[in-house]
Formats: sequence, structure tokens, C-alpha cells
Amino acid sequence: MYRQGDVLIVPVAEGDVPSCSAVPRDRQGRMVLARGEATGHAHVIGGPGLQLLADVDDPSSMFVDVPSYGRVTHEEHGPISLPAGHYRVVRQREYIPGSFRPVAD
Amino acid sequence: MRLTPEQEALAAAIEDQWLAAAVDTTPADRPAAEAGVREAYRRAGLTAPERIFWLGSPRAGAIAAALLSAGASPSPDQAPTGPAPDTLASGVDGPIVQQVRDALLSQGWRPGPGMGASVRRQVRTEPWAAARERASGVLGPEGWAQLGAAAGRRSWALVMDRVAGRIRLRLGEDLAAEFPAARPRLLDAIYGQHDGVWLSTFEAADRLHPGSGLLDGLTGLTAVARHCGWWWAGSRFAILTERPSLLARDNVGRLHRGEGPAIGYPDGYALWAWRGMPIPTDLAAELPHLTADRIGAESNAELRRVMLEHFGYERYLQEAGARALHQDETGTLWHLPLTGDEPLVMVEVVNATPEPDGTSRVYWLRVPPGTRTARAGVAWTFGLTADEYHPLLQT
Repeated sequence: MYRQGDVLIVPVAEGDVPSCSAVPRDRQGRMVLARGEATGHAHVIGGPGLQLLADVDDPSSMFVDVPSYGRVTHEEHGPISLPAGHYRVVRQREYIPGSFRPVAD
Repeated sequence: MRLTPEQEALAAAIEDQWLAAAVDTTPADRPAAEAGVREAYRRAGLTAPERIFWLGSPRAGAIAAALLSAGASPSPDQAPTGPAPDTLASGVDGPIVQQVRDALLSQGWRPGPGMGASVRRQVRTEPWAAARERASGVLGPEGWAQLGAAAGRRSWALVMDRVAGRIRLRLGEDLAAEFPAARPRLLDAIYGQHDGVWLSTFEAADRLHPGSGLLDGLTGLTAVARHCGWWWAGSRFAILTERPSLLARDNVGRLHRGEGPAIGYPDGYALWAWRGMPIPTDLAAELPHLTADRIGAESNAELRRVMLEHFGYERYLQEAGARALHQDETGTLWHLPLTGDEPLVMVEVVNATPEPDGTSRVYWLRVPPGTRTARAGVAWTFGLTADEYHPLLQT
């Protein structure tokens, strides 16, 4: 698994990827794993034939299909190279008594 | 239909523009907004409003809607939604209602026939439903859903859930306390700049299929949404309001500010919030002078959390004498008992990528009270167990 700040990218078996649809690109044509509203900084993924997908039943749950290799970049963190495979994207959270909430850098 | 990357980028750019409009804090463009209102009425087959009044916040707008509705009723007995004009002039209301009444009078209002029944359904609900049906027909249900994901879904969560919904909730409470007759008028509010989150999907559809008239019934609403805040549409009068002059959000888009209100309107209406949680006004005044003792003595757990966040967990853990429970290569786990509440347990983590000045950012995350090791704490923040959490690479 690979961690870039508040995002963790966890390998999963192909059979564990649910029914998904492609996540729309942003206006610069980028595939965005997570974005900061105040900073505008984003965890961006790319690579040949790489697909960013979301669970059709839960669009906030994202997966990545990497046919050959991928690369994750962010303005404040070093880049990460991903080997071919299937991955689940996990956003960091924080405990609040009774519930929890997402974190963003 | 599957959107091409270029079409997705276009849709995302349109959504970004509407998101910017939704958080716009500049003064309303009054002539442009009024032209939009007349256009919306015309599109709905209605006569343009005889008068358009301007107020400085959605609170003032709702109060004005109640005052102007009351004017339609000849006597208090027949005015279930508010006092009749003769009682309005009696001066028994608070200063806020008085301020709204003065604003209306200075704009030429005279107690008498009111604004008429709400035409929100005709100018907003029905055109929206008709446009959705048309767009779904042109793009197909699947294409329409895809477009909604590319332009609209993200800003709906950011604007309706985290901003407009918060304003509405708080307004309901404030109106119930200050002028109960105005509370039901929130049901008739049209969201102006915040309506952009759904209008963006239709504008994207129209750009992808020019000539199909996909935005036709919505051009008036679109113009109002670009140029002002919440508004009220009556069959005779319309009430328009200013956008906030201040809006502060955190990095995940929640209303958030410690040293003043997170939303402020030109007429003084303001809303305090800390990471999306509304702060009562008396607590807001206290925040700059907090001490560890004061926080420890607060019996309301929710308010104490606001205080803790504002004061800083790190500072509180130090000043209140927290104990380091465990330390490993992922960070340090801190523990502090809280009277009458579950303990405060936090992991202190050092960012893997140093800052440009060579230092490393340290941050603190609260984890469940039963956490025993730093690794288990960090793993929990990603929904994993300590055994599962083994990053090959961290940046």
C-alpha cells in the first residue's frame, strides 16, 4: 500500500472491485483522488490506460485500475509510482465521539 | 452515451464557474438580477412583479416576506402567518424587524395589499422538472446521470450540504426566536446563487447539445443565480437579497472561522461556525480568551470539542498534562482523561515530505478512546487494523 499525505492507496484483488463507473475528469482533464477546497491542491493520478472508478452504489468509494503503471502527484507531497494492479482509495478520517469525519491536507 | 474527456473537462469547467458563483461575496448586480426575475416570471407565463424590494440578508428577506404577506390580510384574525399592518406599525417588534420595516418603507412600501401568493412552484419547481425531463430525453437517462456526476454532484455536496443547508438551519432557529411569523417563509425561499449547483448540470447539457433548448425555461433563474443571494417570488412583489460579504470555509469546504463569523451579510446578520459546527454567539465571544481550566470545566461535550479545536489539541494536551501512551515509527499516541466524558486520545504524526524550509509538519488526529498503539491509531484513520497497515512508501 502507498500513502500520500491523507490518501492511502491499498491493493485489492480484481474480484473485490465492485460494479463501478468512471469518475469524471476535472476541467484540466485530470483524474483527482481528493482535492482541498481552500488550497485547491489535489491528489492527482495518471498513467497509460489508467482508470479512476467509483462504486455505482457509493460514488465516494473510489478504485483505480492500473494496467501498466501509474503515478500519484500532489503539490505538497512527493510523487508515488504505482505498479500494475487494482487499488482501493482510502481517505484519512478523524475520530469524533459518536461519528467520524474526513481529513484533508 | 459516454462523455469524452473533452466533454468532461467542459462540464467540470462549467461546474467550477457555478461553484465560484455560489461562494461569491461581492455586492449583488441589482439591475441584472431584477432582469433575471422578470425573465423568470415571463418564462413561467406570469406578469412581472409590480415591485422588487432589496434586503441585506436572507434573514431580512424572510422577515420582509412575512411583513409583506401580512399586508395582504385585512385584519389580525385572518392573518395566520403574521400580524396585520396596523399592528406592524405599533413598534412592539425587536430592532431587527424594525430595521426590515424601515428598509421596506424607504423603498416605497406602504402597508396595504401584500406581495401575493408565492409563485416559487411556477418559477422554480416546474421549470426545473420540465428541463430535467427534456434533458433526460435528449441525453438518455444514462447520459444525463453521467453529466450530473461531471457537473453538479460535487458542488451539491459543497454548497447545499455545507453552506446553504447550514444557513437554512440556523435561520430557522433565529427566526423562531426573533420573529416566528417569518419562519414559514423559509419554505418559499429560492436559493439564488446557491441554485447554481443544479443549474450547472443544465448549462453543461445545453453546451453539449446546443440547439436543443435545454436551458430555455431556466434562463431567468440562471441570471438571478449569477447576480444575487436568496430571493422570494410573490405574484405581485418579489424580494431579493444580497450575497454574504464574507464566507470562510476550511479545506474540505465546511464553514470555518475562529476569529469572527464564518458567514457575514452586509446588514450585519452573521453565523459563526468551527469546522462546520455552528457556534452559539456567547461561546464565540469566549473563544479568544479560552484557558485549559475553562475547557476542562465545560460540561457540554459538543461545546467542549469546539473549544478544544479552537484552543488546539496539542496545546491542551500539554497544558492539561497528557500522558504519552505509546510511540513507534508511525508517531506518538497521547492520552488525556476528560471528566464525565470519554478520554481524549490522539496520534501525533510527522509528515513524510518535509516543508520547503526543511522542517516537517506535525499534525494531530483524534482516534477512538480504546486505541493502544500509535500504529493502531494511524491505521484506524485509514479504516485498517494495525496488522493491515504497512505502507511501502509514504510521501
